Amino acid sequence: MRALVTAVYVFLYAPIALVVLFSFNAGRHASEFTGFSLQWYGKALSNPFLTEALLNSLIIAFTSAGTAAVFGTMAALGLERLGPRTRAVFDGLFAAAIVVPGVVIGIATLVALVEVFRFVNPVLTFLWPGDTPPKAGLGFFSIIAAHGLFSLALVTMIVKARLASLGRDIVEASSDLYATPFTTFRSIVLPQIFPAVAAGFLLAFTFSFDDFIVAFFVAGSKTTLPIYVFASIRRGVTPEVNAIATMVLVSSILIIAVARLLLTERRAS
Amino acid sequence: MTKGYRDNAPISASAFLDELMRLKRGSVSRRHFLGVTGLGLATAVLSRELILPRPAFAAEDLGTKMSIATWPNYHDPATFEAFTAATGVAVEVNVFGSNEEMLAKLQAGASGWDLFVPTNYTISTYVKLGLIEALDMAKLGNFDGSTQNTRFTSEGTIDGTVYAVPKNWGTTGFAVNTGKLKTPVTSWKGFFEAAKGEADGRVMVHDYQLTTIGSALKVFGYSFNSIDPAELAKAEELLISVKPHLYAISSDYQPAMRATDAWMTMCWTNDGAQLNRDMPEIAYVLGSEGGEIWTDFYAIPKDAPNKPAGYALLNYLMDPANAVKEHIANGAPTTDSRVAALLPKEMLENTILYPDEAALTPLEFGAAVTLTDPARAELMARFKSA
Amino acid sequence: MAMSAAGKRRAVTGLLVAPAAAWLVVFLVLPFIAIVVFSLGERAPEGGYQPALTLAQYMNLPARAAAFWNTLVLAPIGALACLVVAYPVAYYLAVKADPRWRLLLVSLVVVPFWTSLLVRTYAWMYILGSRGIPNLLTLVGIEDVRLLNTPFAVLVGIVYGYLPLMIMPIYVSLEKLDRRLLEASADLGARPVSTFLGVTLPLSMPGVMTGVALVTILLLGEYLIPQLLGGGKVFFIGNALVDLFLQSRNWPFGSAIAVTLVLVVVVVLLGAMRLAYRVAGTRQVDLV
Repeated sequence: MRALVTAVYVFLYAPIALVVLFSFNAGRHASEFTGFSLQWYGKALSNPFLTEALLNSLIIAFTSAGTAAVFGTMAALGLERLGPRTRAVFDGLFAAAIVVPGVVIGIATLVALVEVFRFVNPVLTFLWPGDTPPKAGLGFFSIIAAHGLFSLALVTMIVKARLASLGRDIVEASSDLYATPFTTFRSIVLPQIFPAVAAGFLLAFTFSFDDFIVAFFVAGSKTTLPIYVFASIRRGVTPEVNAIATMVLVSSILIIAVARLLLTERRAS
Repeated sequence: MTKGYRDNAPISASAFLDELMRLKRGSVSRRHFLGVTGLGLATAVLSRELILPRPAFAAEDLGTKMSIATWPNYHDPATFEAFTAATGVAVEVNVFGSNEEMLAKLQAGASGWDLFVPTNYTISTYVKLGLIEALDMAKLGNFDGSTQNTRFTSEGTIDGTVYAVPKNWGTTGFAVNTGKLKTPVTSWKGFFEAAKGEADGRVMVHDYQLTTIGSALKVFGYSFNSIDPAELAKAEELLISVKPHLYAISSDYQPAMRATDAWMTMCWTNDGAQLNRDMPEIAYVLGSEGGEIWTDFYAIPKDAPNKPAGYALLNYLMDPANAVKEHIANGAPTTDSRVAALLPKEMLENTILYPDEAALTPLEFGAAVTLTDPARAELMARFKSA
Repeated sequence: MAMSAAGKRRAVTGLLVAPAAAWLVVFLVLPFIAIVVFSLGERAPEGGYQPALTLAQYMNLPARAAAFWNTLVLAPIGALACLVVAYPVAYYLAVKADPRWRLLLVSLVVVPFWTSLLVRTYAWMYILGSRGIPNLLTLVGIEDVRLLNTPFAVLVGIVYGYLPLMIMPIYVSLEKLDRRLLEASADLGARPVSTFLGVTLPLSMPGVMTGVALVTILLLGEYLIPQLLGGGKVFFIGNALVDLFLQSRNWPFGSAIAVTLVLVVVVVLLGAMRLAYRVAGTRQVDLV
């Protein structure tokens, strides 16, 4: 049993170890180890396309997960107050947003937006007073919107589950004590659901940061990190990509560890 | 707002509006307007502070980044590094495996490319769809039409307008690792037979309808460019029977051939020359039934975000001194006699690059209709998803 | 005029759900309507879409039967392969592992999720390519083994990519399992195997069902793993779909396939819920 479990952990970590190992490769191929070097970390950080892709991915993940955390929490709170029929419609739509494959979401969003732009751009050109009217097109906005859809559903479901386990008693007890709804929310409900909101945000962030297929269709000329990596695989990967992946891995492990420490300390005090 | 604040402002709001109206009426020059309002000073300071210094020779603002769409293993990476060193413009290289893929990206809008490398037979369609620019030849001083071999370059010019200038020409044959595959293969018929026989699981075809379908058509003696339903049906039958025996369907076959994961692949001249240079046991063969002869061009998309940089790089690449390095690295034959004069003798004598005329005669240039023909597109998609 | 209490309540509710509702309508419902409309159109002569009202695209669906079939076979096989690998790990973590190390071991299952799946799959291209495992095999005298670009390679990639998603729900359901039940069963003289079959396995069924349903449904839309490890040869319906937009530029047919894929997902999901109800006695298949 132990041997089997150990084997599975090796299976899980061998490719990651390989990625990290090749990030220290002296040669220019990510497939033959020719010596130890840190040069690719320097090259990665000074490659404007790679750093731009990384920055784009961070902006998109923060914005889509952040927006989803706020709107999703609001929706979860609001859904509790809706009639059963309306709620069922919402539940169905949220479930759809989660189970419809990313490739379909990407394509459908692309198809719809291309149609919208075809209608909007002539109008913009007509109304614009200057010579160079802005052109609506694919980019940050469309990626954030498409990622936000999945993230929104994710946060709503997680927070809703948490709210369901809370029960109404605590809220009602608080209102009996003449607390205003907002005070009740801030001092009673929010602290209770905060871990769920945070978990939803983190999951949404991870999803957006790692998503390739949705962004592939709706990114227009913007490059996210996964799109950059996919293009590099076609171009022939240099250890630059391994260096970035290693840095992302290390920083996310650090973030998880710090978050863990902070949470346990808080609980202890 | 306090009076004091207004007094300190470079110009009061109402005075600004007056000046603006005078500018609009045309009674002041723009310089006077900018001077009076302080906007000129502000923009001058801003541009000095915010925008990085450029090399002195760049007459036009080239920006800091540009993007090119091209083919696998097609350029000398040093070319782009040298261009970046000279101009401050970093070049992003996107790699594609077929002209269809490039067309799809341009049709969807916002490709983000400033320069790309379409093949001869696609240019008329790009022009028809309004996807590429008529080139401003004034910006391409290094290009000389009179030194080009028109056998290869005519399709870049449509009704007297130049839309694309040539990068290099080449042929489509196949590469064989003769160390692994013992039986000599000389024809497309032999190629597909070996794929099912001795080289089972070790053969690659392009992820590209023109060459994959075209080569299968040649087995039956049909035109490389056929769109005849009965002929296409025969080609499809052959391709689908071969599919389970293939190693992969991909236009980037160099890594697999170098790793000897694959033993034989459909191949372009330039890849064949590179593979043969590094691994002499890999031979490049033109199918005896015929096949494709082609020219790749450079063109600039209409919606290119950084056209000045696109032109600058194109002009840089048209300089024979730079072009010759590209040819030495990618191993493709040139269309430009100025470049040929600079090429090393062993390249000019290499029969992979310059086969004798008899070998070229049965080859066909791709036809425009194959790019958009729905039957060929659907055949390829069916073959891949079978 | 002051709003009535009920009116105020309704207004607050509306404000709370409005942003989410708008998002769902604009970026889920409208795009879906768009692909339904497109799926009734025709391919423009140069590729793309031109309006029409025809079912021709749906009539052409059999041309992708192989890709649909591949997906419908490989998705459940992939999920079951995942299950076979995941179950012992989840069992070990929940029942056997030293409690002091449990949290760390569970975290280690999740951490790979934080590196790019693309980069990890690329690593598998190396491991399965001839410089990897086949190269090691030549050392023991086995020559010319080909792993990359086979259904096996795709399956390895699938198990690798989706393993954490299978381990977690099973672990959660096993963790809830009362260890006293296991002890009671042992005290009553049951052999470990019959304890496992009679007590542990049934109790972990909700987790198993969740994991299998989740992985199967996600696999139905998989693109990357077959693309990178299948060499363009092992085609899922997701790959066929991308191909229609990226190569053949047949937007209407692509839309028809997208609509069909959504229907397949819905049918599989409903089927999974039914099965879950029968097997685990719960209608709930938690997807989150």
